[in-house]
Amino acid sequence: MGLSLSALAERKTLWPWLLLAPLTIYLALFFLVPLVEVVIMSVTEPRPGLANYEKVLTGSLYRKVFLNTFGTALLVTLCCLLVGYPLAYLMSTVSKRAAMGILLLITMSFWTSFLVRTYAWMVLLGNNGPVVWLMQTLGIAEPPPLLFTRLSSTLAMVHILAPYMIMNIYTVMQKIDPSLIRSAESMGAYGKSLFRHVYLPLTAPGIANGSVLVFVICLGFYVTPVLLGSPREQMAAGLIGNQIEQFLAFGLGSAMSIVLLVVTLVILGIYHRRFGLDKLYG
Amino acid sequence: MNTLMRWIGIAVVIFIAAPLVIVVPMSFSTAASLQFPPPGYSWGYYQQFFSDPSWLRPAWNSIYIATMNTLLTMALVVPATFALVRHKFWGKSFANLMMMMPMAVPHIVMAVGYYSYFGELKLVHSKLGVVLAHTCLSVPITFLVLSANLKGFDLTLERAARSLGATPGQVFRHITLPILKPGLAISALFAFIQSFDETVVAIFISGRDAETLPRKMFDSIREEADPVIAVISTLLFAVVFAGLIVPSLIKGLRRMAGGTPSK
Repeated sequence: MGLSLSALAERKTLWPWLLLAPLTIYLALFFLVPLVEVVIMSVTEPRPGLANYEKVLTGSLYRKVFLNTFGTALLVTLCCLLVGYPLAYLMSTVSKRAAMGILLLITMSFWTSFLVRTYAWMVLLGNNGPVVWLMQTLGIAEPPPLLFTRLSSTLAMVHILAPYMIMNIYTVMQKIDPSLIRSAESMGAYGKSLFRHVYLPLTAPGIANGSVLVFVICLGFYVTPVLLGSPREQMAAGLIGNQIEQFLAFGLGSAMSIVLLVVTLVILGIYHRRFGLDKLYG
Repeated sequence: MNTLMRWIGIAVVIFIAAPLVIVVPMSFSTAASLQFPPPGYSWGYYQQFFSDPSWLRPAWNSIYIATMNTLLTMALVVPATFALVRHKFWGKSFANLMMMMPMAVPHIVMAVGYYSYFGELKLVHSKLGVVLAHTCLSVPITFLVLSANLKGFDLTLERAARSLGATPGQVFRHITLPILKPGLAISALFAFIQSFDETVVAIFISGRDAETLPRKMFDSIREEADPVIAVISTLLFAVVFAGLIVPSLIKGLRRMAGGTPSK
């Protein structure tokens, strides 16, 4: 009896780990090992020591790039919020059919490869593109350069990341009980004060979710800033790519990667402790 | 306040739609560079894409890699998801976190790791290397989609089958699998797209031999902004459009044919 009970208990804890074993081994081999390799390279290339970190954390070029990365991520998050909130609001107030139409557009944008969307912004803002054409038609003889500036990369990143923000806010807005708003109105809240004291706090979880997600993705963004941004205002991921591909400076590239990773994990870690990571992408 | 928000909302709709709409006319352009409005329209760049091996090869590579990635990801993630959703065991929250980790690490960091690790294993510039890397990156999203499906699974159905004398194998084949089919299909689709769209790791490890479509597009945009990219963009866009529109059209048709009002 005692034997069969312990065997049962053993099977109960063993079985799930048996199901998990292939994936665990796989991730250890092809996810953890390469990641550890980056850590090792950061303290051994070209020679052992913390010189790479010293350079990355104190060098003026690196400080500038990291500051620029944070600044851009903050700006993009803010823009996504300014763009996403009104759209989510619009979706939750229009007819069901219109909301479905907008939802379809956002889903389509979300599923379109971000390389395609980056390219589309290149077309839109190019020297012979529609925006310049429109400006010229409106009488601006010499439009300012739009492509390969902070403006072009920011616009494209906002466009690419806005769906994350919109979906997070819209999900929360949809769940707001209309009777709450009505009762607030009946008690004299209207306009700004209704928004500030009732609507905004109710939608705050969606704002937090969306902002964390957009900020974190933006921190590590490689493709869009490299293709559309100004070469003088690089972001961290772009510089890491340069270190590896052009200068073969594996130590410096790895040290920068680890700094980027630690910052990302700290933000996600704080989020995870408060809300749970699985909610972020749900 | 309300009207202002609404007007901004409408402006945002245009902001989101414009880049998606613009590539379509550009793909039919006769101009050699990106020019708007196009001076004329033709199929020229479509012909160029479908006859140029330097574009077709990466396209096939991407389809092959994404397919292999999907098979491998599903083989690993399906059992793991069953364990995590249906069992309580020691170390469960750790296992949950482990599944999500590849999503938390910026792709550029993984790219650096794979570049050096696969260099040692002689896996750079090989399709196998890209498949192995992409599978890690596909785990979180596939797991999320599948576990959401599995959580909604009504266990009483399985219990009923068991009580009627079905063996565990029969229950799995005749009850669990058929009910989970849509969920499995969608999570497989997510794995496929994750790999098909993945750019950063592919740029660093795919090389010339296993060059994927996103890598080729990235290089091409960086160098010359070849208008053929507008063709690929339009084609990819059309696939997404079809994938989203066709199911709802079928649903609508079914509703009309069946005569049952939607609920």
